[in-house]
Amino acid sequence: MNEVLLYVLKRLLILVLSMILVSFMTFGAFSLISGDPARTILGTEATEAQVRSLRHELGLDRPFMARYLSWLLGFFSGNLGVSFSYRQPVWELVGSKLMLSLSMSLLSFLMIILVAIPLGVFSYKATGKTMIWLRTIFNQLGMAIPPFFTGIVFSWIFGVLFRLFTPGDFKGFSVSFWPSFMHLFFGAVCLSIPRIAMTIRMMRSTVISEMNKAYVRTAISRGNDRRSVLSRHVLKNSLVSVISFLGQTLAELVCAGIVVEQVLGIPGVGRFLVTSILHRDYPVVQTIVVILTFWVVFASFIADIINQVLDPRLRRGQT
Amino acid sequence: MKSIRIAVVMILVALFALTGCTKGGGKVASEANPGKTDISAHARDNTVYIGVAQDFDSLDPHHMTAAGTKEILFNVFEGLVKPDSSGRIVPAVASDVSRSADGLVYSFTLRDGILFHNGQPVEMDDVIYSIQRRWDGNDSAAYLKALNVIKELKVEGKKLDIILSEPSNEFLAALMDVYIIPKDNSELETSPVGTGPYRFVSRSVQDSLVLESFDSYWGEKGRIKTVVFKVLESADGLILGLQSGALDLVAHLSSDQTAQLDEGFNVVVGTMNIVQALYLNNAAKPFDDVRVRQALCYAIDRQAIIDIAFDGYGVPLGTSMFPSFAKYYVDSLTDYYSYDPEKARSLLSEAGYPDGFKMTISVPSNYTPHVNAATVIAEQLRDVGIYATLNLLDWSTWLSEVYSKRNFQTTVTGVTSDNMTARKLLERFGTTTGNNFTNYSNSEYDAVLALALSESDDAAQTELYKKLEMNLTENAANVYIQDLADLIAVRNGLGGYVLYPLYVMDVSTLFWEN
Repeated sequence: MNEVLLYVLKRLLILVLSMILVSFMTFGAFSLISGDPARTILGTEATEAQVRSLRHELGLDRPFMARYLSWLLGFFSGNLGVSFSYRQPVWELVGSKLMLSLSMSLLSFLMIILVAIPLGVFSYKATGKTMIWLRTIFNQLGMAIPPFFTGIVFSWIFGVLFRLFTPGDFKGFSVSFWPSFMHLFFGAVCLSIPRIAMTIRMMRSTVISEMNKAYVRTAISRGNDRRSVLSRHVLKNSLVSVISFLGQTLAELVCAGIVVEQVLGIPGVGRFLVTSILHRDYPVVQTIVVILTFWVVFASFIADIINQVLDPRLRRGQT
Repeated sequence: MKSIRIAVVMILVALFALTGCTKGGGKVASEANPGKTDISAHARDNTVYIGVAQDFDSLDPHHMTAAGTKEILFNVFEGLVKPDSSGRIVPAVASDVSRSADGLVYSFTLRDGILFHNGQPVEMDDVIYSIQRRWDGNDSAAYLKALNVIKELKVEGKKLDIILSEPSNEFLAALMDVYIIPKDNSELETSPVGTGPYRFVSRSVQDSLVLESFDSYWGEKGRIKTVVFKVLESADGLILGLQSGALDLVAHLSSDQTAQLDEGFNVVVGTMNIVQALYLNNAAKPFDDVRVRQALCYAIDRQAIIDIAFDGYGVPLGTSMFPSFAKYYVDSLTDYYSYDPEKARSLLSEAGYPDGFKMTISVPSNYTPHVNAATVIAEQLRDVGIYATLNLLDWSTWLSEVYSKRNFQTTVTGVTSDNMTARKLLERFGTTTGNNFTNYSNSEYDAVLALALSESDDAAQTELYKKLEMNLTENAANVYIQDLADLIAVRNGLGGYVLYPLYVMDVSTLFWEN
């Protein structure tokens, strides 16, 4: 019990430290690149005096560490600051977009698990010539075609031709549930295709290498048939490495969603992050980056826990 | 012999089938397309969906700076005066405007019974508040330099006299930007209130902005009840939105974007009223030499740029002025430097660069038209021995490095006038002007500019402005390219789109045909 608690505490500490580190690096990166939020807000017609006084108003003329520390204090006391461009509290702007992006990622993640794991095992068993052909084609295409391209193609086929959803008109779940769901659904499909292809390949190769291990030979020589060995032992063992991969995927999906959100016109956090970077809207960028960091670390944390449940050896190694 | 014939027949059949397929496919698209279903839905609700490529910035009308925000909020806010579609300045919140003979006093009468969108009547206090907010400099973001000629505001009942310290022909135009807002406003950013034909309903950042026709508008009311602006930051997203029926109107498209649309749309062609040029840092070597600048003018084929990168849409320019400012436009300057690479080469060797030189063109990467023009320019310059490399910068970096710090050699960008005065296009090339990012410095230009700015007679001032334009051309201050074309896709059935000589989109004239 104590061990588990200690472990969780340790992971939590890592989580907080990485969030602080990443926020510091983002803050630093922004002070290194050129581009001035005040000038960007005021545009080409403002005078230098106007720019200076806006810089002062936004607190940009204070030293780097002072700005960073006051941001950090604000963050831990729940005050995320006010957006430079919109002059509204950051959380009001980011909250709903974050939920949208997370739902799309989770939907996509669900698709990956439901499709890729069974197909991975199936593709190990399917040794027919046509099946190998199909598998190779799907895997190569799936991994090679970037989501933004499938995004455009799917928008045209399912949106313009079959009218299953309306590209460019995302109304939000509160306004109309079903069309919004279909919109997110196709976004999630675009996101998941390359990762499904990768997961299938990974699943297949792990199953193959597991099947060649000594314990499988022993089990089979004891009279078990291949099928039951596969489902009872090999699958569980193969999942260990696949799950770490899936943990990374879960983390990645939110970031990969940026481009898909742009193409399908989904007002998610990814799109917001990109525009905020271009507008040098530091408070918004900081918040989104730190939340994404949390998400990434958290996803790998969950993957670790699941793995430890599956594989007792890892648990022993931990203490 | 027979087999050849069979092969030919088969190829023909295959070709026929192929063309048949594409035709059929196209038809399916347009039938399943908005045509019957969505168009009628939008028309039935008397709603129009308009796609915009960038999100709006501040909704506080005195703080907004993005051209795309001003363009749309033109429908929500009005000054004492506003522009009409022919470019004239007409009374708005004021019902009557007059100017004293010496040009020092402007008199306004507040329009009777005019209401704000929140139902409150517009009082003189609100007018004074609005002018003061942009004039006194207490709010740095709202400060409007053009108002510093104001000496005094005098109120008498419903009459306002604005007394100037010196006559200014641009003063009335500057007042168009002084939108009248209520004195008591706590939520300008989130729920702005104005007097225009459309009132603000809601806004979702990065997603949409909703306006509704204002029932108590003093003038001609907007016919479309609800106008929704959808923010779609990807070029493909905008086109897919039109094709899927989500959007009814998108402006500022490129010719390759409109080429993807079917017969369900009508493409209106206007001009952006922007001076696109290869702007040169006149203070940096070798561009401080007039012969080098002239060589660049001869080496660049403007018509070819328009043909290659813009499918022939665009009006070639020869100076810092565009045709829709007809009064100031000098047509003969357009062909002052005709494309002549031979002459360019000899000018270059005269200037001491017989083998040409290397240079960089800094371009704001978010403006595709500028990037495309720069790409063609780099290719054309190679012909005379100049090796130009493109340096793509994001807008924020461009603003601070190129525009503010003037740390560049050459850049392709657009210069515009948002209030219909020639001044904004010409004043910036004066030696001491704050936003003279090209560092152009010419004593004759400065002298004429000073005369022009202080001239109160409009005709005489116009002549002086024309002299400035000629000066820019003769000294090859920059390589002027074109006034960009503005392509607007409008769904069939949606009528009343009106082009303005400035960057605004008037939605109050739109209507669904039956």
